[in-house]
Amino acid sequence: MSISKRFAELAHIRDALGAAHADPSRVVMEELLSATEAMIAGKRTILAGTNNYLGLTFEKGILDAACDALHEQGSGTTGSRMANGSFSSHVALEQEFADFYDVPAAMIFSTGYQANLGLLMGLVRSGDKVILDAHSHASIYDGCRISGADFFTFRHNDAEDLRKRLRRLGADAEGALVITEGLYSMLGDIAPLAELCAVAKEFGAYFMVDEAHSLGVYGEHGRGVTEAAGILDQVDFITGTFSKSLGSLGGYCVSRHEELNLLRYGSRPYIFTASSSPANIAAAHWALKAIRNRPELKEKLWANVERLYSGLEGLGCKLASPPSPVVAVRVESHDEAARIWNELLASGVYVNLVVPPASPDGASLLRCSMSAGHSFEQIDAIVAAFAEANASAAFVAARCGGQD
Amino acid sequence: MSSEIKDQYQEILQTLFHLLERFPAKDIELNEQTNLVADMGLDSINVMELLQEIEDRFDVIVPLNVMADVSTVQDLATQVKRLVEENS
Repeated sequence: MSISKRFAELAHIRDALGAAHADPSRVVMEELLSATEAMIAGKRTILAGTNNYLGLTFEKGILDAACDALHEQGSGTTGSRMANGSFSSHVALEQEFADFYDVPAAMIFSTGYQANLGLLMGLVRSGDKVILDAHSHASIYDGCRISGADFFTFRHNDAEDLRKRLRRLGADAEGALVITEGLYSMLGDIAPLAELCAVAKEFGAYFMVDEAHSLGVYGEHGRGVTEAAGILDQVDFITGTFSKSLGSLGGYCVSRHEELNLLRYGSRPYIFTASSSPANIAAAHWALKAIRNRPELKEKLWANVERLYSGLEGLGCKLASPPSPVVAVRVESHDEAARIWNELLASGVYVNLVVPPASPDGASLLRCSMSAGHSFEQIDAIVAAFAEANASAAFVAARCGGQD
Repeated sequence: MSSEIKDQYQEILQTLFHLLERFPAKDIELNEQTNLVADMGLDSINVMELLQEIEDRFDVIVPLNVMADVSTVQDLATQVKRLVEENS
């Protein structure tokens, strides 16, 4: 395919989004006022779609930690750890992750996307078998694709379907890799990890969980859905990101297998990219300690989830899953979703517009992500903005589509 | 091609035509050379659904990576036949 044809295809996508007034790339945050507010198009806007689950990005402690690291270690590492060596701050953060999960091995990567790419490209090769949940994040699909392994999907959150597919693999099921996520980022539903893990173990398969959206949010100690499901000691690999609850930029993988550390010698996304900047590492490290020491953050987040969820439910909105920090409102049509999204933005509320093919099951969604940093007043304003859009007859028709 | 192998291919092909009928296609007549995306307009979600139906019907498991080489109904039938043979 020629490059000019590719440009034309992409321009078509951009133009279609523009015509539907649904191009998220036109949203520019001109000034950040706090973890939950920004100026957008000159208007003070509540941020309810930024995955800033614990709301730590403007706390004095995280800013001081990042500033100190910047002054002490410089603005960037200017190279990869395998070529230029590690900073002690990288090593210390890996140790903190290993302690946090009580496992022998932790590796950090420059982004969450690269954590999945790095783990999969380092772990599996041509001839290996990987079975992933159909709703998995693009970084998991991309990691599988680039690894050269044979990869298959199982029906979303369906342990019996996973069993059926592992059975069909025959002898190859033993040693295969099963991948799922903790909290799914679009619909806001969680995986039945105990059941899925039990099936994987029944066949002698490895089990990997991406906790990008669930770190600091689920489990008694904030270790994710894996902890909440009581299977931390059985999961083989956990990946995650610094860019959500940790309010920074980077990714990690931890494992109960000490051999995870061997990936440093064979994972191209780890070897051939610059290591995270000192400021990012210091911010993530500070935030990880906050998860450990301040359980009240999680409690505040869940109180906020409850308030938003019940508020939207009270409006008759069709919500995609039980309460979670991702509260997604289902809308019947793409056009209606775009219209509501624009109305919300005009009312000073930013949420995520999710339409096919980005949505996992063909749904059109208005996706809210809650933060411990939201005040009840802000949440009430979000609900009021939905109610305003609700006043339109078209919206009433859309939201009632699956309820009557 | 022996008649038995040919029969198996034809059986798979007819089953695929049957499975494909329910997907929203433009006004076209399905044949072996029908392109799943360009002619039928299947999107990624349709393809996933189709694969899961094929897997259940033939009791095989189709790696997504082989789909990169599949454009037409014939390509798909050939891959399914290979997987069925590998499984038997």
